[in-house]
Amino acid sequence: MPPAARPTRRDAIRGGAAATLAAARALAPALFAGCSLGIPPRAKTVTVGMLHSQTGPLAMSATSLRDIELHAIEGINAAGGLLGREIVALAPDTRSKVDLFPKRARQVLDADAVAVFGCWTSASRKAVLPVFEAAKTLLFYPVQYEGNESSPSVVYGGMVPNQQILPTLDWLAGAAGGFRKKLFLVGSDYVFPRTANYVAKKALEAGARGLKVVGEEYVPLGDRDFSGLVRKILDSGADCVLNTVNGDSNVGLFAALAEAKVDPAKIPVVSTSIAEEELRSILPAQVKGHYAAGCYFQSLDTPANQSWVEGFRREFGYDRVTDDPMEPAWCLVHLWKRAVEKAGSFDTAAIRQAFCEGLEFDGPGGRVRLDPRTQHTTKYFRLGRIRSDRQFDIVHASPEPIAPDPYPQVAFPGWSVDWTKDGVTRGPEVDIHGDV
Amino acid sequence: MHPFQPESWYWLYDVPPFRLSLLFVAVFVGFYWLGSIIVRPILRQFVKYTAGSNDIIGYVLSCFCVFYGLLLGLIAVTAYQNVSEAGANVTREASALSALYEDVSRYPEPHAQNLRWLLRDYTRYVIKYAWPLQQRGIVPQEGAIRAAAFYDRLLEFKPATPPEEILHAETLRQFNTFLEARQMRLYSVNSSLPASMWYVMILGAILNIAICWLFDMRFITQLMLGGILAAYLGIMMHLIFDMNQPFLGDVSITAEPFETLYARMEDA
Repeated sequence: MPPAARPTRRDAIRGGAAATLAAARALAPALFAGCSLGIPPRAKTVTVGMLHSQTGPLAMSATSLRDIELHAIEGINAAGGLLGREIVALAPDTRSKVDLFPKRARQVLDADAVAVFGCWTSASRKAVLPVFEAAKTLLFYPVQYEGNESSPSVVYGGMVPNQQILPTLDWLAGAAGGFRKKLFLVGSDYVFPRTANYVAKKALEAGARGLKVVGEEYVPLGDRDFSGLVRKILDSGADCVLNTVNGDSNVGLFAALAEAKVDPAKIPVVSTSIAEEELRSILPAQVKGHYAAGCYFQSLDTPANQSWVEGFRREFGYDRVTDDPMEPAWCLVHLWKRAVEKAGSFDTAAIRQAFCEGLEFDGPGGRVRLDPRTQHTTKYFRLGRIRSDRQFDIVHASPEPIAPDPYPQVAFPGWSVDWTKDGVTRGPEVDIHGDV
Repeated sequence: MHPFQPESWYWLYDVPPFRLSLLFVAVFVGFYWLGSIIVRPILRQFVKYTAGSNDIIGYVLSCFCVFYGLLLGLIAVTAYQNVSEAGANVTREASALSALYEDVSRYPEPHAQNLRWLLRDYTRYVIKYAWPLQQRGIVPQEGAIRAAAFYDRLLEFKPATPPEEILHAETLRQFNTFLEARQMRLYSVNSSLPASMWYVMILGAILNIAICWLFDMRFITQLMLGGILAAYLGIMMHLIFDMNQPFLGDVSITAEPFETLYARMEDA
């Protein structure tokens, strides 16, 4: 038998190559499944912006809006995202400075934000309007405001005067409010209080409520000295006050009212810009018994609300509260989500088209519907009496949601808006500051 | 992206550690085997093999391996220290935050409540948003906003009594300690070995392998012995690569100190 031939180098290479290939074929699927090396696929993302003041005088109120919007987005992401994409939120700080809002708006739009949620004061909203209109991107504005504005680039989620101010006047003039006769208007000196009070005055002039305005005063935003103003209220003989003061100034107002021993049973103050969040900075003894008008209170006794409040507090802490602007902010994120799902796209034009198909969302405060004509939402009107635990007893609620009207004819005759047709129909110019 | 920028290799940190280890081994062994087939015959042209030539090559390889092994060892220690220091920064920040939380809890209401939730908000942000960014080599930005919000609100408090003055001064000092630790954490997000170290390591590995190609021995034996050396080099490189970025990869710092703190904040 001839001796076995020693393998040549060529044999070894051939054999080695064959063995290597066989091993690679056998092991590759297990080691590098799908040629991805086992790298978990990174979710595709879509960016949204948030324009909230996280520092400065408006931070305490506006930060809650950022948190509830983040909470909503985290929930959507946890459920698989939107159109298969994870939502990433950019939330730069607008530092309570109106002139910073347009800059930050451009910053988030430059980062390809497909929608932006935010703004608190009307001044900030008006400052960013041109930016959004030029970019043809939607701003979702969650705070109650004065109306008298319509933009195709804004979805307004807060109350307008026909949903908040006018029902408040009805309540004050009715049996539940004690048939009040003399109303004193007090507000911060900027566009919302002045316009809201203008609507109130026009409504009282036109209607037969038996309520008349006996005084009207404005203080600069942030002012805390209200002793002189409270004296004027008492001297006017007013038996009720409509308070449109905003921000930290309310601390000073209620301190001065308490100092002057104003009895809420005799002269109730109904505030439009005070909610649970603001009450954290006011001593309960100074504010107990007065009222706030809004669309939502944390004490709303429904399973949907209790579950929502619990979910928020579980995530952000049990000393946190939910309040009026937070509820619309939550609803707006979900209405945007529904619109995107209906449109099957993040494109603004497609989303606005989806608005026309009728969008509804069961929010913690009840069902809201986005009115495609005005791009405002329907709202329940609720009136809460402040308790000593910084919560509200809801003493009155509208039986049905109230449809939005950004141009109440009593104040803005001839004006209307219909974004499903011709947009804004202009009436005679209204001089809001004229007879102040 | 430029291949010499560290960011261009971050995707490798997403590969599960065992597979990444195999990948490093496969690349090094593959390189050695390929060289054995293609480069070795060329190198052999330049070496006149005599009876003692393998001894000489072995001696050179031993000397080289001592220096190269020392280099690898020192670099591995440096990389580990980098991770360790970043971990210490994270712990220091969480500890400062914890002390700050205790301090503000002693403030009168509503200040205590308002300051506490701002600190909770910061901690939540670090866990939920900042950490995933750091794990992608991105320095998170929005934590600064939350820290500024806390500072703003802290300055709103006007101490009315001597004990409150002492507490407030201590809280401000603690806040500065926290800010310092926070900045250190952010600096460490992209701290890694300098590129020159990587060049030296990779060049050293190539030379190491090239010396092995010079041995005169049976081809199969060469493939096996050299393959073992190349595999070990691959494993070492993987270890150093894994420790190169403190917040990326298998050997990285987790958000555990913040998670523990957040759970305690929620309980409180």
